[in-house]
Amino acid sequence: MNNKKIKAGITVFPGSNCDADVYRVLNEVFGLSASFIWHKNKIKDLGGYDFIVIPGGFSYGDYLRSGALAARSPVMEYVKDYAYKGGIVLGICNGFQILLEAGLLSGVMLTNDSLKFECKDVYLKTLNTETPFTCALKKDSLLKMPIAHHDGNYFAEKKIIESLNHKNTVIFKYCDENGAITEISNPNGSMYNIAGISNENGNIMGLMPHPERSSEKILGSEDGGYIFQSIIKYIKER
Amino acid sequence: MDNVSAKKNDTKKTEKLFGLSAEEYSKISELLGHEPDAFELGIFSAMWSEHCSYKSSKVYLKTLPTEGSKVLIGPGENAGVVDFGDGDVLVFKMESHNHPSFIEPFQGSATGVGGIMRDIFTMGARPVANLNSLRFGSFSHPRTPYYLSEVVKGIGFYGNCMGVPTVGGEVVFDECYNDNILVNAFTIGIAKKDGIFLSSKCEEGNIVVYVGSSTGMDGMHGATMASEEFDLKKNKKRSTVQVGDPFTEKLLLEACLEAMEKKLIVSIQDMGAAGLTSSSFEMADSSGKGMIINLDAVPLRTSEITPAEMMLSESQERMLLVCGRDKFDELKAVFDKWGLNCVEVGEVIKEKEIRFFYKSKPYKTLGVNTVVKGPEYKRPVKKPKYLNSVKPLNIDNYKIPENINDAAFKIITHPNIASKKSVFTQYDYTIGTATIVPPGFSAAVLRVNGSGAGKKGFLLNVSGNSKYTYLDPFTGGALAVTECARNITACGGYPAAITDCLNFASPEDPEVMWQFVNALEGIKSAALKLNTPVISGNVSFYNETAKKDGDKTTVHKIYPTPVIGMLGFIDDVEKAVTPYFKSEGDEIYILGRLSGNLGGSLYMDLEYGNFMQKPSEIDLDYEIRLQNCLRSLINKGFLKSASDISEGGIFVSLAESAITCPNQTLGFAVNCDTSKSGVRIESFLFSEFEQAFIISVDKKLSGPQKTAVSEICAEYGIKLEKIGDVKKGIMKINDKIDLKSDKIKEGYFSVI
Repeated sequence: MNNKKIKAGITVFPGSNCDADVYRVLNEVFGLSASFIWHKNKIKDLGGYDFIVIPGGFSYGDYLRSGALAARSPVMEYVKDYAYKGGIVLGICNGFQILLEAGLLSGVMLTNDSLKFECKDVYLKTLNTETPFTCALKKDSLLKMPIAHHDGNYFAEKKIIESLNHKNTVIFKYCDENGAITEISNPNGSMYNIAGISNENGNIMGLMPHPERSSEKILGSEDGGYIFQSIIKYIKER
Repeated sequence: MDNVSAKKNDTKKTEKLFGLSAEEYSKISELLGHEPDAFELGIFSAMWSEHCSYKSSKVYLKTLPTEGSKVLIGPGENAGVVDFGDGDVLVFKMESHNHPSFIEPFQGSATGVGGIMRDIFTMGARPVANLNSLRFGSFSHPRTPYYLSEVVKGIGFYGNCMGVPTVGGEVVFDECYNDNILVNAFTIGIAKKDGIFLSSKCEEGNIVVYVGSSTGMDGMHGATMASEEFDLKKNKKRSTVQVGDPFTEKLLLEACLEAMEKKLIVSIQDMGAAGLTSSSFEMADSSGKGMIINLDAVPLRTSEITPAEMMLSESQERMLLVCGRDKFDELKAVFDKWGLNCVEVGEVIKEKEIRFFYKSKPYKTLGVNTVVKGPEYKRPVKKPKYLNSVKPLNIDNYKIPENINDAAFKIITHPNIASKKSVFTQYDYTIGTATIVPPGFSAAVLRVNGSGAGKKGFLLNVSGNSKYTYLDPFTGGALAVTECARNITACGGYPAAITDCLNFASPEDPEVMWQFVNALEGIKSAALKLNTPVISGNVSFYNETAKKDGDKTTVHKIYPTPVIGMLGFIDDVEKAVTPYFKSEGDEIYILGRLSGNLGGSLYMDLEYGNFMQKPSEIDLDYEIRLQNCLRSLINKGFLKSASDISEGGIFVSLAESAITCPNQTLGFAVNCDTSKSGVRIESFLFSEFEQAFIISVDKKLSGPQKTAVSEICAEYGIKLEKIGDVKKGIMKINDKIDLKSDKIKEGYFSVI
């Protein structure tokens, strides 16, 4: 299967601002056929897409709560249908916040414990490689990727954390450059250093760091590219 | 405001409220043929304010070099435009938002960033990078942490939400800014050469359209406020500060660019300072036309607003544009899609006047020229008295400190030297997937996505040194330009063009005007020599505050602070060089020559509490040869690192080169016979802004390669001297400096 045959949909809300980066990387770096889905899009069936990306940004200006308004936008109803039918949905940064607010993933995002916007490179440890987003990775692989967010402090009640652990749906944790999951390597105060989680079925994943900003060597890291390569591999092999 | 009687016997009061002088008031009355009413006075006071009219600086700004082979549009439009080749152009400008940021630092800095980005996308360019230059009061002043944290938060709030990376800047602390902080914001955008939009293309019969946010009471009289000094009651000026909404601006950006792409717009101008007044009058003026403006159609946030207030409001995220009547429906559809106002508010007319309608009736008519052609002053100029006591330094009059290690540690951990990483990480600098060299190093290096640009890229830097400008305004002005160029060249780039932000105290003080005129001469001479024309800029006067000191009132003035923003080009971003050392064993050289002059240095200030000495002058001819030589060495791939020698001197250059390497902590062992050139060790270590660079090269460079390096240096007539080697973990210079890299690193990264 030619990469060009893989169709990716990128949702665009008012205030999305990583949409163009994801679009460029999917089309130019990975040679896929990626296109935008405007939030007022009337095409109810997203079944024509091989996967959907909800990109980062400040949808609706982060008013009310990060992701809260976008989660109630018409297009999210179609994304939910798509996801419930097993479609692959990746939420990055604000996209992760939207997935949480839409109830497609469990938990909430609090303001970073520094109370500041944090933009820097972090390391992630891959805990589960049995998902469409990580199938090209080896267990415990370390990925270097940048974060850029104000509200990335993942929080969930005990029951949810237990369930995440039990079902092995914590996909990535923040760690240091040697892979140790330490307090100092946690950039935002997330519970248990959680950086990315999936649903039980594994077809929906949200993560705070930006794989699209770390898919080319010249930008300092190609590690984020493994996430897109995993999706491509999964689609080709299914 | 309409209640304010503007009768002649009230001139004193009027002057205070409207910021006009008695002479200006009389001139307005004469031009109108009657005493101005509140509406007219509001419009004149805004357009004749220093901020909008440049009345004290215009005479001098005209003398700056503004042309060059790559300059497509120089000063006069919303921003300047430079040819980037392959059909692309770069559009950039820097602007101050000092007064609002002192009154309300979060909103002031946020709307400063919002305003400069509007200037860029008004031209049809998509903003691709922001930088800023910030000046705060003394680091130990109790209010400084508040200003620092709020200003940085405001800049991040706006830029991050817009999705425009903030890739660099400077943060400087000095007590001269205790009562007047400076916030200068720079934005660069990219556009297609044939996709540039101007404010000067209005044609008779076109309609005038208001887009963006509704008009409210915020920012009232902002332009006038920014043209006055502060007094003790600054809180009363709070309502003059604008409130920013970056979300709306993001929508406005997308809507404007979409409408431009569809060729629906004829002319456009941002409603920035003096809002609807400046946008309508200036567009009409630059197009040689007039306008009908129907005030009933202006979208409002409150019904409790007078016509004068509508004209003077500085509510953010608004644009005035002009389009063909046949395009309006299509234009409206674009703005509807983005959920923004798009309202016809008038028409372009042949007669050069603005006819205002209010409550469906003719309200006022004002001649465009009458309002726009404000006063122009050649204000009195007098050499400041304090300069008589600024003499060349004789270091022999000062005792050598017992422990130079302590002096070095004090310098590297001084707030003006120490790392600003905790500031930069609050800005999104990775969005756009174009940032090759992030903030915190010499210059930001960016690539260009989505065009046929290939590997070529551009570099950005902002620099200014107010202390040196205070000690020697000409040298300070020239240094700001030269320092930007050094930072760009140290990465391997070619300096191309500049924008300037000139921050000074009151122009009504002849000594301040002297500083201004001489600093501008310095900028001019360096810009001419380095072939970097000034394509846009901004002047901010009245950065001073009256303070009560017992019974006496004294005026605290900032040091003259010209700040330069420079654009450079690079053919291959993969060849860009960073300032930090790369591996143990590499050889360290000084390229250039040292003056050893400690006059005006941080060392003199910290060690002896006296920096009132003459800084070194810059030999611009030598500078060009030096920079060409360095660039040639970089382009041939001989250098592993290059760093200029700026504040703090050679010690700081070496130390930063050792500890800012991302993956390891390096050090150095340097041995340099300074007695040969007859300078004391401190002069070697801490003299600043030398015409020299610290470079490192691979020790495994072959014989022929080493010969090639020597030949290049000889060709440009530049001295190259090996001074030591890159080490791990230690910092040693002769037998005078012996420090641990880890300790220096910890200090350097933990101050701010």
